Amino acid sequence: MKKVIVENLKYRYPAMKQLALDEISFEVEEGEKIGVIGRNSSGKSTLCQALVGLTPHFYKGTYGGRVIVDGLEIKHATVSEAALKVGIVFQNPFTQVTGAKLTVYEEVAFGLENMGLSRAEMIEKVDRALHLLNIYPFRNQNPFSLSGGQMQRMAIAGIIAMRPSIIVLDEPTSQLDPQGTEEVFSAMDELSAEGMTVVIVEHKMEKVAQYCDKILVMKDGKRAAFDTPAKVFSRDDLSELGVCAPVYTNICKALGKKEGAYYPVTLAGAARVLGARR
Amino acid sequence: MISVQNLWFSYEPDDRKRPNPDKKYALRDISLEIDKRPTAIIGQNGAGKTTFVRILKGLLTANRGAVTVMGEDVSRTTAARLARNIGLVFQNPNDQLFKKTVMDEAMFGPLNIGMGEGAARKSVMRALDIMELSDKLDTNPHDLALSDKKLLCIASVMAMDTDIIILDEPTISQDYVGREKVKRVIRLLRDEGKSVMTIIHDMDFVAECFERIIVFNEGEKLLDGGAKEVFSDAEMLKKAHLEPPYALQLAISMGLGEVCLTEADVIRCMMEA
Amino acid sequence: MKSLSLYVERDSFIHRVDPITKLFYIFAAIIVPFVMKDLTVSIVCAAVSLILLAVGKVLRNAITVFACLFLIMITIFLIQALANINNATVVFSISGIHFYAEGMINGVKIIMRMTDMVAAFLILILTTKPSDLVEDLIRAGFSPRIGYVIMSIFQIVPHMAGAIDVITDAQRARGVETKGSLPVRIKAFLPLLGPVVLNSFMNTKERAMALEVRAFDAKNKKSFLNEAVNFRHAMAYRVLFVLLAVSAVAWRAGGVLL
Repeated sequence: MKKVIVENLKYRYPAMKQLALDEISFEVEEGEKIGVIGRNSSGKSTLCQALVGLTPHFYKGTYGGRVIVDGLEIKHATVSEAALKVGIVFQNPFTQVTGAKLTVYEEVAFGLENMGLSRAEMIEKVDRALHLLNIYPFRNQNPFSLSGGQMQRMAIAGIIAMRPSIIVLDEPTSQLDPQGTEEVFSAMDELSAEGMTVVIVEHKMEKVAQYCDKILVMKDGKRAAFDTPAKVFSRDDLSELGVCAPVYTNICKALGKKEGAYYPVTLAGAARVLGARR
Repeated sequence: MISVQNLWFSYEPDDRKRPNPDKKYALRDISLEIDKRPTAIIGQNGAGKTTFVRILKGLLTANRGAVTVMGEDVSRTTAARLARNIGLVFQNPNDQLFKKTVMDEAMFGPLNIGMGEGAARKSVMRALDIMELSDKLDTNPHDLALSDKKLLCIASVMAMDTDIIILDEPTISQDYVGREKVKRVIRLLRDEGKSVMTIIHDMDFVAECFERIIVFNEGEKLLDGGAKEVFSDAEMLKKAHLEPPYALQLAISMGLGEVCLTEADVIRCMMEA
Repeated sequence: MKSLSLYVERDSFIHRVDPITKLFYIFAAIIVPFVMKDLTVSIVCAAVSLILLAVGKVLRNAITVFACLFLIMITIFLIQALANINNATVVFSISGIHFYAEGMINGVKIIMRMTDMVAAFLILILTTKPSDLVEDLIRAGFSPRIGYVIMSIFQIVPHMAGAIDVITDAQRARGVETKGSLPVRIKAFLPLLGPVVLNSFMNTKERAMALEVRAFDAKNKKSFLNEAVNFRHAMAYRVLFVLLAVSAVAWRAGGVLL
């Protein structure tokens, strides 16, 4: 079942000449994980905002085309209505803190209160989200007392607790250490196995290649590519697109070693192709 | 250039009447010397890395131990005076930027440490040129993208022309091109004879730019050595919840005998074989 | 992080009373002495409020507030004792300054009413979590938006204070002297206010988005993570407080008519 349908999406910020999003179209199946990559200011964050309705409802400007998320046309729904189907984690976790709750636990429960869930349901969902993101020990702290990395985990927990059918994450691991990054990606893996559709903007190509089913490459507001990691990272024109392949792929490219028609994109794939030697 | 002896630090204040015996220390008994080698401090979130550099910079005061920067005892001077010798790029750009335009922001540091107007302008323009921000001189820093904010922070500190420069997570939210810019700056500063230190989670970046690595774990210095030496100590890395650079991971899983830290190393090694 | 809330965590009967009933008490505690205009009533009301603070085990915390009010109370008493329009009976004189009975009685009355009012509010403030009060008000039909604004003040004001520290560090890091004599510190501090206030305004739009993406404006009825303070005899007490206020007004109105 198609969970995200984007059709000829066009958007221009007020007082800007250039289109921030230029005729973007793609579709995402239920439970798929999509990595969005590309240079900064290529439209990745704007696309995230459009998927949840912040564009055009908060950011005015010229808007064209359609975004349909879990059957709901975003243009005709309020952001709060859309929030029940699609969640977003902002690039800056600090701006995601509601500022009205005194503990991490209450902060994560905020969305569930707005959904009108029973207390028992809330506790179950908040506990699971806190454990999944490994921040349960911080549950009684003030949200503003957390470090950047912990805040990033709390922001993700606050959204996944609401159990949207789609989750959009804008660089959710920028302030996390390698282990924290790995934990976020494996949490997304677990949720997608349960049917959640994941759209994630990320600069760490090795993680994108390892975890995502498909990659959307953005360039100057346009869709430059939308395909499997192997196909995308095997292209010769990556530097023109402003992206870099995973280290593993670069090594295989330099040595001319393919696996089938494409270069490997993961550690295991590269090791297989290059062959173990003792 | 920097000398640290038996440094202890805690965020929990001592009770005036009786010392707090169960006080948690963010840093425990750290001793090290910083020389001109480009040095990366790595470790988990919360390992004490940022706390450590804030002490070097004079923004926090150690509970015990001695820190000297360019021969000056940090406890006997102020952060403002230390700013002439040591520059720090904050982890979160939003915490560092406070002026109304890119130009004012970059000029702020140099003018404050007593650089002349002309010299400051020259130094600032050079730094902004390198970061490709010189076409945005009148932009409000808060209107920049996060990645550009970070580059502006680096340029603002670089313009102060201090002998020591510390970069706290310089590659945060940088794309491929931005990452290359940061790499270029680090190499440039090294070539100018400055002492460059960084805190960073991107191990491949470390492998490409830094000679010396210090590993922090739960407030203690776990390892200190050359990049090859540190990254090949699998046991210690595991203890610090870190992993070697991706290139080295591949080299290890292929059973290459040599410690190949970077893409180029692995390719060269494979070609030779 | 510092908190603006004055809530004191204790285990007491007063803590178990729900916030709305406490609001009813404040209402009665203000109306009764004001309409009755009787010294004894004022003293009794003040005594009741103070006793309730004691029952709530927060009398000590209230003393700081009263200490601040002490000077004002003394001033009021002296002005009344020396210069009330109705002053006629001199009670005693100190070096030619006369203290009058009418003024002194009126002064005590005003002080008692102030004590009563402040104590009644302190009962609410010291023994109720702000979030419990706001959530109870929303349950009673109050706008969640206004509730959010009230709660955010408790978080965002201390956070702005924190933002000043952050910018101070940014300035020290680039050579601004923030330590030393008072003029030096003021010179360093003043330029901070602009950016801090500006930053918090710029965050407003982002904050609004943060709320919306958490379904803040969803049409359904909200629920609450924290259970409402369940006070068994809430209704009886509320009725009692309203009755007290109403009968005070009735008694007064009757008195005027007769």
